[in-house]
Amino acid sequence: MCRPGGGSSDVQWCFSQVKGAIDDDVAEADIISTVEFNHTGELLATGDKGGRVVIFQQEPESKNQPQCRGEYNVYSTFQSHEPEFDYLKSLEIEEKINKIRWLPQKNAAQFLLSTNDKTIKLWKISERDKRPEGYNLKEEDGRYRDPNTVTTLRVPIFRPMDLMVEASPRRVFANAHTYHINSIAVNSDYETYLSADDLRINLWHLEITDRSFNIVDIKPANMEELTEVITAAEFHPNQCNTFVYSSSKGTIRMCDMRASALCDKHAKMFEEPEDPNNRSFFSEIISSISDVKFSHSGRYMMTRDYLSVKIWDLNMETRPVETYQVHEYLRSKLCSLYENDCIFDKFECCWNGNDSVVMTGSYNNFFRMFDRGYRQDVTLEASRENSKPRSVLKPRKVSTGGKRKKDEISVDSLDFNKKILHTAWHPLDNIIAVATTNNLYIFQEKLN
Amino acid sequence: MLGRGVKRKWSCLEEAEVVSEARQLVLGLCLEKLQRYQAGVELSLRRSVLLINTLRQIQEEMRSDGVGSCDVHPDSCLLRDDFREDVTVTCPGCSEGESPPELPSQEANGSDQQKPPAAVSDAVNAMGYLGDLALDDIFEDIDTSMYETSDLPSAWASGSLPQSHSTAGSLQSCLMDLNELDHIMEILVVETHLVGPGLQNGFSL
Repeated sequence: MCRPGGGSSDVQWCFSQVKGAIDDDVAEADIISTVEFNHTGELLATGDKGGRVVIFQQEPESKNQPQCRGEYNVYSTFQSHEPEFDYLKSLEIEEKINKIRWLPQKNAAQFLLSTNDKTIKLWKISERDKRPEGYNLKEEDGRYRDPNTVTTLRVPIFRPMDLMVEASPRRVFANAHTYHINSIAVNSDYETYLSADDLRINLWHLEITDRSFNIVDIKPANMEELTEVITAAEFHPNQCNTFVYSSSKGTIRMCDMRASALCDKHAKMFEEPEDPNNRSFFSEIISSISDVKFSHSGRYMMTRDYLSVKIWDLNMETRPVETYQVHEYLRSKLCSLYENDCIFDKFECCWNGNDSVVMTGSYNNFFRMFDRGYRQDVTLEASRENSKPRSVLKPRKVSTGGKRKKDEISVDSLDFNKKILHTAWHPLDNIIAVATTNNLYIFQEKLN
Repeated sequence: MLGRGVKRKWSCLEEAEVVSEARQLVLGLCLEKLQRYQAGVELSLRRSVLLINTLRQIQEEMRSDGVGSCDVHPDSCLLRDDFREDVTVTCPGCSEGESPPELPSQEANGSDQQKPPAAVSDAVNAMGYLGDLALDDIFEDIDTSMYETSDLPSAWASGSLPQSHSTAGSLQSCLMDLNELDHIMEILVVETHLVGPGLQNGFSL
């Protein structure tokens, strides 16, 4: 049987690890809100609703078990954001981490950007495995020596110590967003980055915190005329002048920063005409784009709306080149999903390393992969029941017709509280990180 | 999902009724969600915009389909007795002694099409979208661009909303007509204006 993944048609996915609390009682602060691999895939960062960042590091592959790629273990944990209070509006600013973006590594330390609704922070994560010993004026425990007892001088030397990983905030980019930040994106020049809220996008220099340039502003003069908000934004992977932003109306605008300082006029606008057969009260809500990601090649971009994933060729604005239905069986349930607010859920999507497969989450802890080359798709589940080490994940199926086959699950039995909103794919290998509400699952390709 | 432009033949009346009922249901849900708030937590602008757009779309459809004021059952008028005391304007279809007209009133809809739907603009007002405009007048020399309100005015948070029956679980079974929608919006607007823009943002005038 052929299964999609990694470009070849017969990748099988195995459970590798699960992180997080086992019990079903989910603490609000532990809800995972973002997942991101760094550029080499060695580090995996998660952010949660409690404002914490947890970084996992992959162990080097052991010679004893060549069929297993290294496990991810906790490398560093720190409190990135704290809850704040906006006194003017009498509102609390949540500490929830909306996005994490890694900077490419330039020296021994690692850097990442993390953001909540209002403030972006640049964190430096550095290792310390040596410490100086042999001070002249201090004892080893830090107490100062009586100067009269010092009779000789010595040069302190570095001695090995247990590895300590320290995270320190190097920059705080604050007070630039009136509305809630939904995206941050690092530019390919590795000097600037953008941050996007509902109505505006700002361009920052990583070294400068007291200023940012506003490059997109869609706030109408009269707020009563507001009908559209920005939902996501991303820089092109190798054209440092190009970025895109998506909207709640299902459009994507591509802007060129060379054209003008304020990029209100888009260079390209990507929009698919609405299918008149599928028109309903909820057409606009389900067309709202929740995520946009460029392919690694920079030739395509992928968007996620409520029911589908679309791949766009950057040279064609009129319609996507590929459309994949994530959970079309929900189309007849839109009213219920509107009632219980699930229709507003924002799912993310991601590419694999060579852009041949895309992945996104769904309900009931299901996630979907679409192989673009082989035109195959698979539904897998992240659950504790399938958590035996190296057990192969069995494809899942939702029954849509009247008759439910064995092993299929009916639409009405789906648990809409178990949603997979955040997924990430290792940039080079077939290793994926899938976040359920409060657990992080790591799956690997079965190697033999 | 639901076809539009259905010809009003006798055989299609049932389908029109289903459409109308579905509209009422979604309309009610829209209002319920717009009224819902969590004190101290800022509402999502994306969600608010999507809700208001859905509301506008339904109103447009109802208007263009010529659906009139009263699909109201007499029972729902009785349910509204408690908040009718707060309301100075009464629904023409529900005044004493008058039975609801059986056919939609075409003239009323005709005049409404000239101006933007009043109920929607009132809903938008109530959402606090216009909060920053009032603020600009009063504090012209202060740069308030950082402190624009993008959320419900604190009047809502203080619980000054009338506890409308419509937020109870019976919403789905309670059919609402356009006039009822207008009345609720008027209440919301009145409440907002009573508190005042300055007090909404913590300044005393």
